[in-house]
Amino acid sequence: MKRNITVLSATAVFAASVSMLSWADQTTPVRGLHERDPQLVALTNATLITEPGQRVENATLVIERGIIRSIERNNRAPAGARVIDATGYTIYPGFIDPYSNYGVAKPEQGGPRGRSQAPVYSNEREGGNASNAAIHAEKNWYETAAAQSGDAKRYIEQGFTSVQSARFDGIFRGRATTLSLADRLPNDIIYRPQTAHFASFDKGSSTQQYPSSLMGSIALIRQTLSDANWYKEAQGLSTSNGALEFNAALSALSNIASTGVVFDASDELNALRAARVFAEFSLPITVVGSGFEYARINELKAANMKLILPLNYPAAPELNEQFAELDVSLADLRHWERAPGNAAVVANADIPFALTLHGLSKTSDFWPNVRKAIDHGLSPQRALAALTTVPAEMAGIADQAGRLAAGYRADFVVSRGDLFDQGEIVSVWLQGEENELKPMNPADFSGEYALTLGDKELTLTLSGNGRMQGKLVAGETEVNLRAVSADNDSVSFMADLGALDLPGTYRFAMQHESLTSFSGRAVSANGSAIALSATRDEPEAAAAETQRNAGTPEYVGRLTWPNVGFGVSEQPTQANLHIRNATVWTADDQGILENADILVRNGRIQRVGQNLSTPRGYEVIDATGMHITPGLIDEHSHIAISQGVNEGSEAVTAEVRIGDVVNPDDIHIYRSLAGGATVAHLLHGSANPIGGQGQAIKLRWGQGSEGLKFAETPATIKMALGENVKQSNWGDLYRVRYPQTRMGVAALIRDYFQAAREYEQAQRDYARLSRSERRRTAPPRRDYRLDTLVQILNSERYTHVHSYVASEVLALLDVADELGFKIHTFTHILEGYKVANEIAAHGAGASSFADWWGFKFEVYDAIPYNACILKDAGVLTSLNSDSNDLQRRLNTEAAKSVRYCGMDEHEALKLVTLYPAQQLEIADYVGSITAGKHADFVIWNNHPLSAYARPQQTWIEGRKYFDREVDAAQRERIAEERAQLVEAVLSAGSEANRGERGGYRATQPTWHCETTQDVWRGFETFEALHQHDHSQHSEGAH
Amino acid sequence: MKRLISFALTLAVSSSLAMAPAHSHDMVPGKASEGAVLLQGATLHTVTQGVLTEQDLLMENGKITAIGENLTLPEHVQIINLAGKHVYPGLIALDTTLGLIELEAIRASNDLAEVGNITPEVMGHHAFNADSEVIPTVRYMGITHAEVVPQGNLVQGRSSLMQLDGWHWQDALEQGPVALHVSWPRAGLNTAWWERRTPEQQRKANAEAITQLHEVIRTAQTYHSARVAGTQTLVDQRWEAMRGLFEGNLKLFVHANDRRQIEQVLEFNREFGFDITIVGGRDSWMVADLLAEQEVPVVFGALFGLPSREDEGYDVAFSTPAKLHEAGVEFALAYPGFWDTRNLAFGVGNAVASGLDYQAALAAITIVPAKLMGVDDRMGSLEVGKQATLVVSGGDILDPLGQDIEYMYIDGRPVDLNNRHRQLYEKYSERLSR
Repeated sequence: MKRNITVLSATAVFAASVSMLSWADQTTPVRGLHERDPQLVALTNATLITEPGQRVENATLVIERGIIRSIERNNRAPAGARVIDATGYTIYPGFIDPYSNYGVAKPEQGGPRGRSQAPVYSNEREGGNASNAAIHAEKNWYETAAAQSGDAKRYIEQGFTSVQSARFDGIFRGRATTLSLADRLPNDIIYRPQTAHFASFDKGSSTQQYPSSLMGSIALIRQTLSDANWYKEAQGLSTSNGALEFNAALSALSNIASTGVVFDASDELNALRAARVFAEFSLPITVVGSGFEYARINELKAANMKLILPLNYPAAPELNEQFAELDVSLADLRHWERAPGNAAVVANADIPFALTLHGLSKTSDFWPNVRKAIDHGLSPQRALAALTTVPAEMAGIADQAGRLAAGYRADFVVSRGDLFDQGEIVSVWLQGEENELKPMNPADFSGEYALTLGDKELTLTLSGNGRMQGKLVAGETEVNLRAVSADNDSVSFMADLGALDLPGTYRFAMQHESLTSFSGRAVSANGSAIALSATRDEPEAAAAETQRNAGTPEYVGRLTWPNVGFGVSEQPTQANLHIRNATVWTADDQGILENADILVRNGRIQRVGQNLSTPRGYEVIDATGMHITPGLIDEHSHIAISQGVNEGSEAVTAEVRIGDVVNPDDIHIYRSLAGGATVAHLLHGSANPIGGQGQAIKLRWGQGSEGLKFAETPATIKMALGENVKQSNWGDLYRVRYPQTRMGVAALIRDYFQAAREYEQAQRDYARLSRSERRRTAPPRRDYRLDTLVQILNSERYTHVHSYVASEVLALLDVADELGFKIHTFTHILEGYKVANEIAAHGAGASSFADWWGFKFEVYDAIPYNACILKDAGVLTSLNSDSNDLQRRLNTEAAKSVRYCGMDEHEALKLVTLYPAQQLEIADYVGSITAGKHADFVIWNNHPLSAYARPQQTWIEGRKYFDREVDAAQRERIAEERAQLVEAVLSAGSEANRGERGGYRATQPTWHCETTQDVWRGFETFEALHQHDHSQHSEGAH
Repeated sequence: MKRLISFALTLAVSSSLAMAPAHSHDMVPGKASEGAVLLQGATLHTVTQGVLTEQDLLMENGKITAIGENLTLPEHVQIINLAGKHVYPGLIALDTTLGLIELEAIRASNDLAEVGNITPEVMGHHAFNADSEVIPTVRYMGITHAEVVPQGNLVQGRSSLMQLDGWHWQDALEQGPVALHVSWPRAGLNTAWWERRTPEQQRKANAEAITQLHEVIRTAQTYHSARVAGTQTLVDQRWEAMRGLFEGNLKLFVHANDRRQIEQVLEFNREFGFDITIVGGRDSWMVADLLAEQEVPVVFGALFGLPSREDEGYDVAFSTPAKLHEAGVEFALAYPGFWDTRNLAFGVGNAVASGLDYQAALAAITIVPAKLMGVDDRMGSLEVGKQATLVVSGGDILDPLGQDIEYMYIDGRPVDLNNRHRQLYEKYSERLSR
């Protein structure tokens, strides 16, 4: 082994020494002779773009030992320099890619995906690493840095000379290092050893269960950043539970505010999510974008981030087969059209951005794509900045790279022509060493020559590049040439000259004398030689350099919020309304009012009555024959959630928040509006006894994730009991997590709430310390998981408990009573009818399915009379959907209580309006048509509980979010726009096929309570398999 | 170690036994009535002969023997006054798995699909559990018959029509096997989140499945002609099971949803000319004219379906039956599944709300399914001479506000409308009242 190493390093020395421009390593002992090659190089008469917007004509770039020594404007080279005539060439600063994994160690394989392996809950601990295997913050990637000439090539060919690099693996990926792409010793290529922390939401090669969802990753980032602050603060202090541990990962994060964060986000929504969680710790971030930034550019701008943009435009959707468009969404067609305009949109929003080669599977597409971006409105100057000065800042090397200036690295790009127009890179210089991609002054022999061969006057014609051809002409006689080949300054060919009275085959060779004159000879088989000379006209001067300017694209497709077919171009306006002559189902004590009027002012119900007069400026809606109800409210929904409804990895995950992953792009928001729903309580799934925090949203279609949130809703959390949490249907490998029985579920819940009490006590104890004691004592570590449970104990957060059978319900009530906290609402609670009295006595509510049963053992006793019995027992009762299908028709779900057990119709309506509002503690705002409440209402064409009822309009806070007539017009517009874009693809020809395959958004699955996914390692779940068989069904629930 | 293993096995076995649900209910099948029964003064939704208000219907020996006013009554007639009530033919639920499964998550209760892609030999009625607790809850919603369909990937097996008040499957078997069910290979690309194959891999797999299906049909055809010619003496159960297709006494029900699939099915059948029906039919509205022209019926199965594509209107599935009706397609309406099939009538009401003609809606769950099952000569409408298979509802059967099934007769036998759900309701109502 040792011998091998010796040989390798000897080779490296040898390889370096062949170059004219190598210089000695600074600390490596010399072996053999001291090499003292001349080091000064001058590129003369060049056009230098020293930095974006700075152009110096006829200049000389002088470099020495990898550094720019000077820029001479007088076009003179210093004495003793090797001179390279760069006349007609443009020199740019070398490009910098701020997001790369070049030159650092690659991750190990993460093991097989899916559920075929036994679950891993703990990280292997060594060297003071973090407890989670996706946290590698302690890694310094310069430690593994080494030139990898093969990998470097793909960067260098596009003009890159340095990259900011770290391993792409995990959530906190460690500190990047900025490396030159030169093929030199690591000591020479490390431009800056420690730069930004790289991060992402993807746990990468970690096989540890946690986190398995996007919200889990966000929670882990939050906890880790908080821990880092705590760890810093606790240094040298005593703690309540022993000496402070050594934690390398937390230690490495202590100065993250000054190192910066480069965050790889898979789309613009994740960019915003990342910015938000880091903003909680006052940490601005640089986001590696997706190409979808244009879709929410204002929000990105407001989030105050920098961007690193890939130029990986998607190939057009494949539409060659008839009706292939049935598989293609308008959103995808729009993205195909607009993706090249993304960088221009970002630039116009004045968001600082750099470009990256990352994400581009075919790197030769990079420059065509840069030019496409310019055609779509990006200025060449911004494009250059995005390749030089901006990434230099991001990579921490603005003092040594990113511009052409004395003292900077001799990293530059020589191009023939304007690179941002049709120019091409001929060479890339790395630390003063040339990487030739194309010859700088290629001889061009094609043309017509007057050729004198001995005494004959002939015309020689040569044509072609690479494979050349030609002929000799004398009067009427033509002789074709064979084996024509040329190198930099000579050309040779063969010709049979019998027709010219010179029998036999002659081998010709001729050399440049000047640009227009050539000399040489022709030699026959017997060795006789004939001298020749030739002249030609001066070759045409290269066409005057063209320049490309930012284009002004015109798009066929629209841009909407969200950017899907049914998205909106503008937000609905808030109207003051006088609704006349309706049947109003108030869902409050006013009952059902015939021929009633409603006044709406500033988004609130102003008045309900009869024969009201129209205040000035109010819009009148004649609702004769119509029914009006409050907007329907769903206590249990899983729509509008990105990348995982369950953080189903650990038994308690109270720290994760659905509010972190609200997905405003979900078309089900709109579909539910069309079914009369206005509020949905988005719940974490049911994979663990104490799951994640819920988020109520108003279905304000067109708003971003924050605009959807129903801000007035008190905090909530999901808990769960029974089969799902004891992993009954997860397969045989999942039998190790505590709990596996209902007994264990009760015990575990009891344990965690007990721990939360103790945690709260520790915080109180710390707060009571004297100032001097506090100077010596570390504060208790903030634990977001226990924090959440403390909120439950203190009635600051309301529980929504997934539950089915009588025994588990009573067990939970038993634990809650013992520990002194309240269960707020049981959800599903299909055996609630068996313990209705006990639920009522505890003061909990119940939110049930109307008639679901038969999908698993614990629902075998579910009955469609559940709501009736619960209600009769005095339990606050509602019906929920747990389904994107049922959420569109909560009204007829409520009607089933009329069908099965004769519930009063107005009361039945309250099951999906007032009562769920009360369960969410938002009844002061919504749930009934009551003066002062939000003007959230539905106009129906029929009795609202009837099978024949259809919402005509759905309003939220006096804004119309759904209207059947508008919807019908929208469908026509969608059809038209689709047809235009399909035609655009079909007529685009082969250019449409260039680009990334699968460069579109992944469809988000339909989430259910028990969809237990691992979004980072694939979605192999029991539920998924189940769904395959039942894709036809109205999708339920559980 | 060995002891430990055997202990674990025992535990596994016993726990799975414990999970297995009780497999019978305590409702007793109806007894054929001795005398005649007169349903008096109801609104009769005959389906085939319009709506007759305030008229009488006489049942004798399991048959409808008279309909009208002032009927001549036999001696010993039981008269049931139904003023203000509605009488409908018993609803027929197509494309169900009723009786083949009791609880989705319990494998032991699941008899849905046989192993392999080509299983024409299996028949739904062989596994039909007439004592399933689910069945009485489905009857409670007006459904008297259900087509029981083996599930599968390509050639699924043969379905049968069951009446829902039998002692066992033989007793319950109304007609069968009725149809061979084929799940048409996917056309186009699966864009669902769980699909991991590339478009190329998907196209290849789709093409292979089509080839396989053609191969199966041709093999069965050759087998049939060889049997007829006497040259094939060895029996192959699979191809034997498909001979009815060529003899004309077995229908072919093809499950196809995508427009391209449906067009492929029609193209395929130009060659074979089977008695064919499209089941599923999600995109059938797109090719409604073609289906009408070729007289291919559709069993539409997505009454509450979500749009299958992002750009489709929210109610595209709701309004499909109305579009089929408008185009003149013969169609039945179905609610595939088992326990949830009980919502069939409400799903049909939803189609009416989206523009479907009310009478066409009723036909789509009575006479049309009867025809597709080959039993329209004896049920599916209120007609003299047909089976006395009917239900009495307090109000509109398609609307949850109206539906209230008070009586059900199958073949003249009164059916017990009680069920597990009502029993538990009554039990715990009793607790509440104490």
